[in-house]
Amino acid sequence: MALSEQDILKRLMGQRDRVSAAAWLVVRDAHAAEDIFQNVALKAMTKGAQFESGGALMSWAFITARREGIDWLRRRKNAPVCLDETILELLEQEWADEALGQAGGRSQALRDCLGELPAKSRDLLKRRYFDGHACEAVAEQLGTRLDAIYKRLSRLHQTLKKCIETKLEQPAG
Amino acid sequence: MALSEDQNELLLRHLNGQLGPSDEAKAAELLRGDAGARAFLRTVAEQAVVVADVERIGQHRPQPARVAAPVFRPWKWAVAVAAAFVLLAAFVIATTPPRHVAKVSAILGPCQFIAADGKVRDEVKVGTVLRVGDTIRTRSSSAWVKLDLNGGSLMTIAGRSRLRLLNVDGRRGFQLAYGNLWATVAQTAGAKLVSIQTPTATVEAEAAQFDVEAHSSTTIVRVNNGTANVVRLADGQAADVVADHLAVVAISRNRPFAATRQPEPVNQWNCRLHAGSGAVSGKWLPPDEKNSVRLGAIPLLIGKKTTLYVASFSVQCSSSPPVLIESGSRVRIRGTTQTDGPVYFGITTQRIKGVFFGKYTAKVGAGMLGQAGEPWQVEVPLSQFKPEAKHLPGSPAGMELSDIWIVSQDENAELEIHRVEFLPKEVGQ
Repeated sequence: MALSEQDILKRLMGQRDRVSAAAWLVVRDAHAAEDIFQNVALKAMTKGAQFESGGALMSWAFITARREGIDWLRRRKNAPVCLDETILELLEQEWADEALGQAGGRSQALRDCLGELPAKSRDLLKRRYFDGHACEAVAEQLGTRLDAIYKRLSRLHQTLKKCIETKLEQPAG
Repeated sequence: MALSEDQNELLLRHLNGQLGPSDEAKAAELLRGDAGARAFLRTVAEQAVVVADVERIGQHRPQPARVAAPVFRPWKWAVAVAAAFVLLAAFVIATTPPRHVAKVSAILGPCQFIAADGKVRDEVKVGTVLRVGDTIRTRSSSAWVKLDLNGGSLMTIAGRSRLRLLNVDGRRGFQLAYGNLWATVAQTAGAKLVSIQTPTATVEAEAAQFDVEAHSSTTIVRVNNGTANVVRLADGQAADVVADHLAVVAISRNRPFAATRQPEPVNQWNCRLHAGSGAVSGKWLPPDEKNSVRLGAIPLLIGKKTTLYVASFSVQCSSSPPVLIESGSRVRIRGTTQTDGPVYFGITTQRIKGVFFGKYTAKVGAGMLGQAGEPWQVEVPLSQFKPEAKHLPGSPAGMELSDIWIVSQDENAELEIHRVEFLPKEVGQ
C-alpha cells in the first residue's frame, strides 16, 4: 500500500538532516540546502507522487535534492566543483540504507554534542558552515594558518562523530 | 578502514573548492574506493547543516572590535581629548542595549495602530516602528502582521489579535491581549529576554521558536525549538517548556499545569462543537428542533463602514493533536444563512512545528448553499482555497492547520455554524 501523505511527511522530517546534507554536498551552502529540503518536502506532498515504501521515498528524496542542488548551481556564478554523479549516488545510497536501519535520536545527539563544544570550536564551525566563509577567509579572520584551520576542522568533525556514537550507545532513560 | 588525517584534510579541501585538478582526481578516487572516506564526507555534510540549523536559532554575531593604541605627542593633546570623547561616546552607544522597538516588515489585511499617546491609525504600512506603549491589532481572520524585533528576532500576529509593547525591566516586553502569535527569538549579544504577557500567563524566552494562542481564560504555548519559561499567573507556578512540548495555562488553579510532549500530527479534525472548546469567535445560540449546537457569527468592525460576520474555530483550543494538511484534504462545514449571498471559508496555516505560513480562503457562492433559511452542508476541497498573499504557493499542502473561519459580509444572513470538519483526502483519490 502506498504511503499516506502523513507518513511521507513524517519520514521526510525524520531524515531532514540527511536529505539536507545530501543537498549541501552539491551546493556547499547550508541555507540553500535547507531551502532545497523544503522544496523536496513540498514536491513530495503536492506532485501526486506515490511511494510504496520508506525506501522508495528516501531514494526519490535524495535524487530530487541532488537535482534541485544542480539546478541551484547552474543559476550561480563561481559555483563549487560538484562531485561526480556516480559518487553522489554512492553517498546517497549509503545514506538511504543508514536511514532505514537506524533508530532516531541521532539528530538530537548531534545537537547536544554541538552544545557541549567549547565556544572557540563552535565559533569556527559557525564561521565555516553558518556564515559560509571559505577556509581561507576563516583563517584570515582568526589570524591563523590555513593548514591549522583544516586540522582543527578535521578534528572537530571526528570529535562530534565520536560524541554522537557515545550518546547513542548510552541506555535510554 | 580509518582515514588518515591527511585524507580527511584532502576531503575538507575538496569541500572548500580549492583543489587543483590532480588533487580533485585524488579526492574522487578516494571517495569511489573507500567507504570510510564517504562516511567522513557524509559526517561533515550532516554536521554542516545541523550547525547552520542550530545557529539560525541562536544567532550570535559579535561585531569585530579593533583597538588601536594612540601615540601621544604634546601638540596633539587637543586632538587626543576629542578622539577620546568620540571613542567614549562610541563605546557607550555600542554597549547600550538596543531600544525595545518592533518594525512592521510585512502586513496583510485590516490592521490598526494605537500609539502610546492614544492616537489611532487605521492604516499601517510596512516600515512602521512600534515603541513601548504602542499597540497593533490585526482586525480580521485573514489579517496578519510580521514584526522585526532588534537583533534578528521575529514575531507574527494573525487573525484577531492585539499586541502591545510593554516596558518590563530587563526584558523586551509584550502583551498579547488575545489572538495568535508566532515568535522566533534569536540569541544576540546584548539582547534581552523576550517576555510575553497574556491574560493567564507570562512566556519568556532567550532563544526559541514558539507560538502562543491567547484567550481570556486560556493560553496555549507550543515550543518547537529552544526553551520557553511559562508562568501561570493564577498561582505563580512556572514550567520550562522545551522543544517539541506544549503547555496549556488556564485561569483556574484547579486545571493541571505542566509541559507535555506535543502529540503526533493527524490528518483530520472534527471541531467538537459539542464540547464548545474549539470555537474562538462566535456566540452560542439556544438549540432548536434541527440543531442541538449552534454558533452564531459575531460582527467584526474591520475598518470604517466595513463589518464582517465571523465564526472561527481553533485546532489547538479544541485539544486536538496538530492537523496536517494534505493535497486532497477537504473542509466540510454545516450551517445556515437567511439570505442568498456568498460565504467565505478560510484557513490559517503554519509550518509543521514552525512559524506562521499564511492564510487561504475559498468563496462559497449562494448556489452551493441552497435555499435561504435551510441548513446547508458544503465540502470544499483544498484545491479551491486561494492564497491570501502573492508570496504563498498555490497550495498549503504539507503545512499544519491552525484554524478555520467562516465569514459573511451580510448581517441579514444571520450566519450560524453547526459543524466544522477537516477531512483527509478520499480513499482512491
